[in-house]
Amino acid sequence: MSMPLYKLGAFGDEASLVVAFLIGIGFGFFLEQAGFGSAKKLTDQFYFRDLAVFRVMFTAIVTAMLGLFWLGWAGVVDLSLVYVSTTYLAPQIVGGLLLGVGFTVGGYCPGTSVVAVATGKLDALFFLGGTFLGILAIGVAWPAVEGFAHSTDLGRLTLPEVLHLPFGAVVFLVVLMALGGFWGAGALERRLGGKGEEEP
Amino acid sequence: MSRATDWLARRTLNERLALLAVALGLGALAVGDVEARGKVTLDTRELARIVEGEVDHVTPEELADWMIAGRADYRLVDLRAEEDFAAYHLPGAERRAIAGLEQAGLGRDERIILYSAEGIHSAQAWMLLKAHRYPAVYILLGGLAGWQEHVLYPLEPAPDAPIAERAAFARAGEIARHFGGAPRPWSDSGSAPAALAPPRPTSPAVAAPVAPPTGAKPGAKRKKEGC
Repeated sequence: MSMPLYKLGAFGDEASLVVAFLIGIGFGFFLEQAGFGSAKKLTDQFYFRDLAVFRVMFTAIVTAMLGLFWLGWAGVVDLSLVYVSTTYLAPQIVGGLLLGVGFTVGGYCPGTSVVAVATGKLDALFFLGGTFLGILAIGVAWPAVEGFAHSTDLGRLTLPEVLHLPFGAVVFLVVLMALGGFWGAGALERRLGGKGEEEP
Repeated sequence: MSRATDWLARRTLNERLALLAVALGLGALAVGDVEARGKVTLDTRELARIVEGEVDHVTPEELADWMIAGRADYRLVDLRAEEDFAAYHLPGAERRAIAGLEQAGLGRDERIILYSAEGIHSAQAWMLLKAHRYPAVYILLGGLAGWQEHVLYPLEPAPDAPIAERAAFARAGEIARHFGGAPRPWSDSGSAPAALAPPRPTSPAVAAPVAPPTGAKPGAKRKKEGC
């Protein structure tokens, strides 16, 4: 086992910031290249006109999942050390709804708004300003919302644990789900989005 | 060129990638689980951070306050032998053996407070639960001995102690009586708390170092993860 590199001490706290910076540049670059710096492109997915966001995200998920599974199998990555954020069911449902509304109305999600600001989009600048105001507001209101934010704590939860399936079976199901989703996305675009023939 | 490679050559890049994903997914299905169950790996860096920051401690006074406030958001686990538990245990405590503790019905979503006679067993059990990825495990500082000394039989401050300290002691006395103990007068300061405490061998008192501890910073920064 030699990964995760940071957890196994390959580099320290300071170097981890440099690594984070480099990964951030890569992340921003590919988001921009996928067209995610445009609010129009991002919101088109909600009208089934252009499901590029869905495709890019699901492709990333499947790639990362297959990579982690097989690297874990080969003994390169210790999967038990990979960070899995805690599941807080109720607050995450509420937060997800809020994010969805904000995404549809504002045209960006937090990460893509930063990408769009970097390419000089004025609307994204306002969106980002709103994000910071929202963060400030939740910080001020924290004593009142903290109880809710930490409620329905299910701990470190993963799909194999919830479904009582082997990890590999979940991997296979997610691959099938992604391919089904890509096929469905193409069909939806052709029917509703007025798009011509396009490979899923 | 065979028909299969011929067919593959006619596929688009997307189709080839999809085929690769299906092949890797089918392989994953065949492999099943990546890691053998029961095998654990310690995140030593994270553990060291917790230990240095001393965020995994609950003082006897804190626990007493929680009990009086009627808090029910924790599980109190007594790790001592069956007969010791029968003789005395903290209110609301449940006994568990260290062997098989990770299968003793404790939830990973629960706040678990461990105590033993003095603290060594609870520290060892803490490590065991941490290895099994229980996120919220705490140690009762000083174990049962600490509970007796600070909650059941708190020592009255010296007569020349500051007013504030003496005022705080009035509350400690009330808490002690709440749990069936009693504050010890200052004149008892040389002796061990009575009742439950086993007689202590008399040994020359070791002067505690006065210098403040260096190194571990309280509230040492914790690496944030996730987005």
